[in-house]
Amino acid sequence: MSLTFLVPLFLLGIAGVVVPIVVHLTRRQRRNVVHFPSLMFLEKIPYQEQRRRRIQHWFLLSLRALALALLVFAFARPFVDQSSLGLGASSGPREVVVLIDQSYSMAIGDQLDRAKEEAQRVFDQLGPLDRASLVVFSRGAYVIARSTSDRIRLRAALDTVAVSSGATRFGPALKVAQTILEESNLPSGDVYLLSDFQRNGWNGDEGVRLPPGSRVIPISVAEGSAIDNVMVTDVTLPRQIVAGRERVTPTARIVRRGGTAAREIAVTLELDGQQIQSRPLLLEPNAAGAVTFQPFTLSQPHTTGTVHLPEDPLLADNSHHFVLSPGSALGVLIVEGAGAARDVSLYLRGALDVSDDGRFDVRLRRASAIRPVDLDGVAAVFLNDVQIDGGSAERLREFMEGGGGILVALGQDGGWPASAADLLPGTVGPMEDRVQGRGGRLGYLEYDHPVFEVFSGPRSGDFTGARFYRARRLQPTDSATVLARFDDGSVALAEVGIGQGKVLVWMTSLDAFWNDLALQPVYLPFVHRLAEYLGGRAEAVPWFVTGQVVDLANPNALETAGLVSSRAAGLLDGLDQVALTPSGANRPMPASDGPRYLPLDEHGFYTVRQPGSDPDRPFVIAVNVDLEESNLTRIDPEELALQIEAPRAATAGSATFTVAAELQREDQERRQSLWRWLLVVALGLFITETAISNWVSRRGSGAQGVATG
Amino acid sequence: MAISRSGTAAGTQFLDPAVLGRIGNLELLARTVVDGFLTGLHRSPYLGFSVDFAEHRPYMPGDDIRRIDWRLFARTDRHYIKLFEADTNTNFSVLLDLSASMSYGSHSLTKLDYARYLAACLTFFSSRQRDRVGLVTFDHDVVDYVPPSMKHLDTVLHTLDRAHAGRPGNLEAPMLQITEMLRRKGILVVISDFYEEPEAVLRALGPLRARGHDVIVFHVMDPYELDFPFEEASGFEDLETGEQIPVIPTKLKGDYLQMIQAHLDALEKGFAKNRIDYTLLNTSKPLDLALFQYLLARERLSKTR
Repeated sequence: MSLTFLVPLFLLGIAGVVVPIVVHLTRRQRRNVVHFPSLMFLEKIPYQEQRRRRIQHWFLLSLRALALALLVFAFARPFVDQSSLGLGASSGPREVVVLIDQSYSMAIGDQLDRAKEEAQRVFDQLGPLDRASLVVFSRGAYVIARSTSDRIRLRAALDTVAVSSGATRFGPALKVAQTILEESNLPSGDVYLLSDFQRNGWNGDEGVRLPPGSRVIPISVAEGSAIDNVMVTDVTLPRQIVAGRERVTPTARIVRRGGTAAREIAVTLELDGQQIQSRPLLLEPNAAGAVTFQPFTLSQPHTTGTVHLPEDPLLADNSHHFVLSPGSALGVLIVEGAGAARDVSLYLRGALDVSDDGRFDVRLRRASAIRPVDLDGVAAVFLNDVQIDGGSAERLREFMEGGGGILVALGQDGGWPASAADLLPGTVGPMEDRVQGRGGRLGYLEYDHPVFEVFSGPRSGDFTGARFYRARRLQPTDSATVLARFDDGSVALAEVGIGQGKVLVWMTSLDAFWNDLALQPVYLPFVHRLAEYLGGRAEAVPWFVTGQVVDLANPNALETAGLVSSRAAGLLDGLDQVALTPSGANRPMPASDGPRYLPLDEHGFYTVRQPGSDPDRPFVIAVNVDLEESNLTRIDPEELALQIEAPRAATAGSATFTVAAELQREDQERRQSLWRWLLVVALGLFITETAISNWVSRRGSGAQGVATG
Repeated sequence: MAISRSGTAAGTQFLDPAVLGRIGNLELLARTVVDGFLTGLHRSPYLGFSVDFAEHRPYMPGDDIRRIDWRLFARTDRHYIKLFEADTNTNFSVLLDLSASMSYGSHSLTKLDYARYLAACLTFFSSRQRDRVGLVTFDHDVVDYVPPSMKHLDTVLHTLDRAHAGRPGNLEAPMLQITEMLRRKGILVVISDFYEEPEAVLRALGPLRARGHDVIVFHVMDPYELDFPFEEASGFEDLETGEQIPVIPTKLKGDYLQMIQAHLDALEKGFAKNRIDYTLLNTSKPLDLALFQYLLARERLSKTR
């Protein structure tokens, strides 16, 4: 530990100390000229020249010189270099932070046990004044013992360390260590990093900077030999409606990492905890394959499924969990005019009928009036080129306020009763032809809207091929949202919300009369997205990944997670819930008005139910591990340590060393900020010197004679 | 006598130089000083003898009892003084040094101010006595010359009023010129700080004395010149030559005081030897000392003439 300077060049300014001396000997003499009538007597008195240069006020001179010196030192930005602190027990008390990786890859062999042994060894070597913290980490980091010298407590904390389902992330753990070291008042710090050091856990730019005087001691507990690991990376669950029943054909994708020779792997499918199928798969080393199981009938909601692989050193990625529930067909009502041509909805009906999983239950009504019975079980209504009456419009208003959605396609015969004009997103104008050239096109699509979101990616659907030869004009209201415009700027599709539902107005025909959109490949997914959006159906996700969080109070999230109506599961009623984690722990979810987050830390099935109830088919969430952790490629522990610890550990002379050392010096100087104190002291000295000097001058000037003219 | 050489007499604080410095008009100043001074004297200072009777006036305390008209006392049993027309044959001239060194002053008055007040007072006093008053100012040359005349009081006072010091001084050359200019014998009052060697001073004033003038010398010195109370090391600049030398007063003070005292002693002895009345005036002291010295000299001169 020594005093050094960040900008030593400024020390040249110390030469400025001579300034007050020069001023003292020169300017001071010029200032105190005494006019005297005659020097005839004074000239006769011999005197010594050196006497004139005698410094009378040594104290003042010292103050000035000291203030200037402090000023120079302040500009040179001094700091106490702590990077030369010794390492080890002999260098004084240490702040020790032990980071133990608890990612699921640590379950390989006895890696975790060895990590705990190493940690215990570190704790045993603590000096009497040392303090230690124990931090476990995977995706996140948790301090289970903080800055204590109580070895019993440390041992007890160490005993609680177990493998989690998370993937390795070094960044959060090192940041926790950085915080502990920064808050410590001990002169040095050691960070022991106990891990299997997977490369995926470190991206090299985590913003971790350990304080000066601390070092990172990586201890790898990875298995020395390469392991043969197989994993389930994905399961697809396509559905088909066969004889009115929903059948699912699971296909599992299997990847094998490592190994030396091809081997046959038995892939097993479990449903609701019972093994129903097993398929063999021959896999070469570092190869991938797929297994398709026999279809099974999906009849029960919240059906849990798992694809299992035989045991290998890394167990967590050998199982893949999912949850399925029978899909409910979305009721769609197509209304067309009573006198319309029979094929007015040909393409629309065809598009809605084309679905293997029977997601749409399409009904057709050819009348200008809509009866209440027509809307039973219907979630979306397509008014395809029809002029409905006022009573039907009012029924549709009620339908929409209850959450339904309608699309009004304004073709040749389409219209809307003036009595319900407020239900439309604007005022409908006259027809306009775009017959010149090759007709109009869609020039603008709101890709952030759920209808067009799936088309936002490249090669995800091309609307520009469609030609529009005739359309109606719409003057949108302020509350309307324009979702699509033609290339001349006129509105093509607009939306307005009515109660919990919505109205979309398509300003041209929805079949191939005024345009050829129905002949384009994008037509079918476009119509499907329209129907699903109008009906309020969200895409279900059969599983989550560890580390994600689900809000049990968010209906949309639950629709996604639960695969069946969350209302049916009782989650939206604001009642108390309890979540049973895969490890068997109960996690209370008390009723509240705000969000109710459920962190998915473990892989397996989370069961959510009301306390005290025991439903046959409870709400279930499937969680799988993050497969990044299955990639066991290692990072060199020393390389990792070099990137985060004090730069003195780098190779002296290298460019990295120079830059890192400079950064470290700047960091030390910034933390200590000695220059501020030096400036304050220098200012104080200047003020004191000025006050004393003025006082001395006033006292001295009282004895001076003056000459006047 | 109510006045001493060393201090200010009771009732004459008005002669304090600091107070006089606030009076701008020299005539008013001179009248104030002279009248104030005279009222403090027990004896009338007006001298001079003449055969021309003027009038009688009642005796006032301080009048010379020799001038009481005893005959009239015998008839009236009252004391009367016989007044004669004063002698107007005396020429009174002030020779005022305007060298730059006279501009020095450590307090409110410079030596030149003090000298001007003194010259004004003496001229006014002499004019009251019906002397012919004149003025010569000089530095290294004659600057202004007002020939002695009964009517020149205002001219003298005006010349004094606008006199200022600025050039180097030298006694010998101007004194020779003055000797040539003042051919008629009279009373010459020389006011200077005499920053020359005593021999040179006496040599310069010698021709005046040889011409038969009665010479009265007032040596005007600032208290700082006499006491040298400086403490801080400074550059001392000669007011006449502009020369500057570094001085550590605490170191030189002793030598300086010895030398200045030797200078004063040499001057005093030299003037006494040449029968020249010499008075050292400290500008921090009232004017009454100078006036008193002048009266003594006049009285002595009147007896010897």
